[in-house]
Amino acid sequence: MTASNAHRWAALPDPSAVDLARAIAGDAEAFRLIVERYQGMVYSVAYNVLCNPSDAEDAAQEAFLRCYRKLPQYRSEASFGTWLFRVSLSAAIDYQRRERRRPEPVEAPEIADVATPALGDGITTSMLVEALGDLPDDYRVPTVLRDIYGLPYQEIAELTRRPIGTVKVMVHRGRSSLRLRLRRDCMAASPAAEARSDRPSAGGRGGDA
Amino acid sequence: MDCGYVCEHINRYLDAEMGYLEVAELQSHLSFCPECAAELVQTGEVRGALAAWGRLEVVPPPGFAERTIAAVRLEPAPSEPRPFGRVVSEVLDRLDETLGRVPLPGGRTIPVKNVIGAGIAAAAAVIIQLERRARRTRELRPL
Repeated sequence: MTASNAHRWAALPDPSAVDLARAIAGDAEAFRLIVERYQGMVYSVAYNVLCNPSDAEDAAQEAFLRCYRKLPQYRSEASFGTWLFRVSLSAAIDYQRRERRRPEPVEAPEIADVATPALGDGITTSMLVEALGDLPDDYRVPTVLRDIYGLPYQEIAELTRRPIGTVKVMVHRGRSSLRLRLRRDCMAASPAAEARSDRPSAGGRGGDA
Repeated sequence: MDCGYVCEHINRYLDAEMGYLEVAELQSHLSFCPECAAELVQTGEVRGALAAWGRLEVVPPPGFAERTIAAVRLEPAPSEPRPFGRVVSEVLDRLDETLGRVPLPGGRTIPVKNVIGAGIAAAAAVIIQLERRARRTRELRPL
């Protein structure tokens, strides 16, 4: 979780030292507090990396099991949420590397607290989820890590175990594919969006990394 | 700077990885090229949509927490000594993380630990064969 993608998860309170000690001693009920508090974050990370509900559930469960096994290694220098976010990302990427995706129609998932989430510029969640799901894994994972979670390229290269140059090319291709796909979907959905998407910009936008 | 260059390097601009002069050249190109300007706007919109999507929380399937806790109950307590098999597996995982992967033709990669394992197995096979040959030589030697 970076500052550029600051999240309500970052505001979740860390588990107390007592709860952590109980969980480390093997108290599953103490660990339940952690699961219930962070399940949305862990599942969202797995879903965004894998774009498949069944795989996301398996990967999210694996992330919690890794978290449980690694609890004694957690040091409170970073917030628990940040630590668990890294564990979840790593579990989801390892799962993606290890398992082949099960063919499954991609549907817009249920979003917490928001009835009809808008992503701006005529792009709906179902359009985006479908477009992400249709991207090849090699393009989707680096693009998700870069543009959803705002990770630096160096970190993406380490997580995906690919050279940084390759990662940049994959993000470029991922963004281009998404742009063409979403533009097509937006045009199909609304003629007004077509007019907007064709409107040229005078000055462009500055970088924001 | 032409359209091909802009198309190829648009992400460096969006990722703020361009130098000052290159940015000035690109912005000058955008001011008279509506196609490249539109591409930049659309790519920015996609990034905006992805960032907005990332701020939403996907709801886990019903019963997810229960199933996870049931799996956790099967695990030994984190404070307990771990079974030998898991220690070996963790050491191999750490080795994998440390050593990385060897690229193969076709863009695939394999873990370095697999290459090392194959090397150790091959060395063991050679040693066994040499040992057999030496034994046979000893047995056939006239008394």
